[in-house]
Amino acid sequence: VISKRRFRALVAAGGTLAATVVIAACGGDDDSVGGAGEGERTVAQGGTPSGEVLISNWPGYVDPGSNGTIPQFEQQSGLQVEYTEDVNDNVTFFNKLKPQLDQGSSGGRSLFVVTDWMAKRMYDLGYLQEINHADLPTVFQNILPQFEESTTDPERKFSIPWQGGQTGIFVDTAQAPEITSVAQLFDPKYKGKVTMLTEMRDTVPLILQSEGIAADEATKEDWLAAIDKLRQARDSGQIRRFTGNEYTEDLTAGNIVAAIGWSGDTSLIGKEGVEWRRPTDGCDLFFDQAVIPVGAPNTPAALAFLNFAYTPENAANITDYVQYVTPVAGVQEILQQESPKVASDPKIFPTEEEIAPCSEDPDPPGSPEDVAEVEAAFQEVISG
Amino acid sequence: MRKSERSPANLRRRLIPYALLAPGAIWLILFFVVPMYFMGEMSLRSGIPNTPEGFSFSWDFSNYTQALEGRGEQILRTSFYAGTATFLALLIAYPLAYAIALKVNPRWRLPLLFAVIAPFFTTYLIRTIAWETILADASPIVDVLKFLAIVPDNGRVLDTSGAVIAGLTYNFLPFMILPIYASLERIDTSLIEAGKDLYASARQAFFRVTLPLTMPGVVAGSLLTFIPAFGDYINPEFLGGANNTMIGNKIQSTYLEESDYPEAAALSFLMMAAILIVVLLYIRLAGTEAFIGSEEEER
Repeated sequence: VISKRRFRALVAAGGTLAATVVIAACGGDDDSVGGAGEGERTVAQGGTPSGEVLISNWPGYVDPGSNGTIPQFEQQSGLQVEYTEDVNDNVTFFNKLKPQLDQGSSGGRSLFVVTDWMAKRMYDLGYLQEINHADLPTVFQNILPQFEESTTDPERKFSIPWQGGQTGIFVDTAQAPEITSVAQLFDPKYKGKVTMLTEMRDTVPLILQSEGIAADEATKEDWLAAIDKLRQARDSGQIRRFTGNEYTEDLTAGNIVAAIGWSGDTSLIGKEGVEWRRPTDGCDLFFDQAVIPVGAPNTPAALAFLNFAYTPENAANITDYVQYVTPVAGVQEILQQESPKVASDPKIFPTEEEIAPCSEDPDPPGSPEDVAEVEAAFQEVISG
Repeated sequence: MRKSERSPANLRRRLIPYALLAPGAIWLILFFVVPMYFMGEMSLRSGIPNTPEGFSFSWDFSNYTQALEGRGEQILRTSFYAGTATFLALLIAYPLAYAIALKVNPRWRLPLLFAVIAPFFTTYLIRTIAWETILADASPIVDVLKFLAIVPDNGRVLDTSGAVIAGLTYNFLPFMILPIYASLERIDTSLIEAGKDLYASARQAFFRVTLPLTMPGVVAGSLLTFIPAFGDYINPEFLGGANNTMIGNKIQSTYLEESDYPEAAALSFLMMAAILIVVLLYIRLAGTEAFIGSEEEER
């Protein structure tokens, strides 16, 4: 499995060049208002799909190959699908697309997948179309009850869950089998042998919970205090570095003994005895959402694709390959027959009790200005 | 006579330099001057990231002071890394270029130069990532360094300043070697012989004849190394730890992670200004002749 955040750094490399161009593009329009303001939201048009459709997703987030989900969908629907894996990082993707979305264009995309908090941000900026539930009968027939609503989209007006996972800790059991909590990562014993994630909404909620603070009730001051704790740990050399998916390489090479990491990444780590653990002092869930952007062409085809992906058989094929958490009911039953190992993996099928205490990639509280302040403080710690 | 000066042939001749300059000029205007204008304009906007209002133009110079706030250590670190890498590259490149240009059998020149350029057949990013493996904590190379007591027993190489500087030096070394080689190769060796005939020792001949004649190469090489090294963010990203970030990393994250375009633009401008000042000082110190070559030499 190629995990979704893997190519973050690679993309960043191309980013600087693009940044210049994008800044130029942003500069073009003085009053850069979102594609559609509050009150004039468009609803994605349903109907009988035909023609071509462009879908953007994270790398390795669908069952690949000539017998995979996309060719099967093409065969069944008669549509021509262009499926690109150009979402590598929420914010980078957002900043890349923003100038187009400002103009009410999606760059030809009918559907793309971003993490829940980003979906919310895009919706609030007027970049997404609303979805009529009547157009998604299969989705709402098969969605697991716990995903029928979410904190970011209570009525499922604009986001349909694609895949999700948990943020926890990877531990090299040969080196430090005793590590079971986030708090232990700050033990001087592991100085320079620990990494954390550059994604603020993954790292900071875990720190907050390890301090006994519920992440979704934390105040801005709590966030800033947690970020300050990170700063001290960085300055003292406790935290070796902040990474995207590169922590899997550090674990494989034996550079570190523990890392904050994503549950689906196990297969990326080529070292015996490294295992993912849900920390005893907290955990975090993220869910990536399929959304329909403003200006999306051929929305009936996008809706048809979601219905297709939500049939249990097709969803089971996806889960078997991507190894993240599925929002579709009946998948576990199918996999018990076809792939018992996956069906019994608690990382892929956690029980409700296990994930009940988890935070959900929360945003810092307050106005956009407050969020920007917390974000800046965090970036200050991870990039200088 | 006056008539012929105005003849079409003459006019054409006078337009030739402009015609030759045109492709480069259009390129620069489109991809440097125009984006620069928008970036400058962006750097003076104010607003809150990720709001529908976005950023509006308001002559907000506070972006510049804000961009520098608390940046002192990182700027010093960036200058130190880029400066050290340039110096190390010069120390490595000069003898190497000297050997290739003047000491080895001429038929070895081409293969040796090819070897200098060969790493470019792989992308910069992949080469840097390869260094992650070379310098990993458990790698044999690090064991050797520990044995030689260059690295303390409980120490590491990856994710330290040393690794970042080594990466920068390695990645930009060819940019130092090639200009120095070019200027060494152009030297009329009879000048060195003449110096020796006038009782200069080998050392004196080098410092008073060879080195001054190759200064254009040294200056060009230093600039071609220092400028990209100063703005680099790939090496600190992969080879550096949490305490080894450079200004480039900050610009990247301000733009792509914080979405604070005005501050990112301001910081970029400040970095450009800093590089420009360093370059001007350097050229001033080395003399313009060293930079563009003396006119005498051109003839």
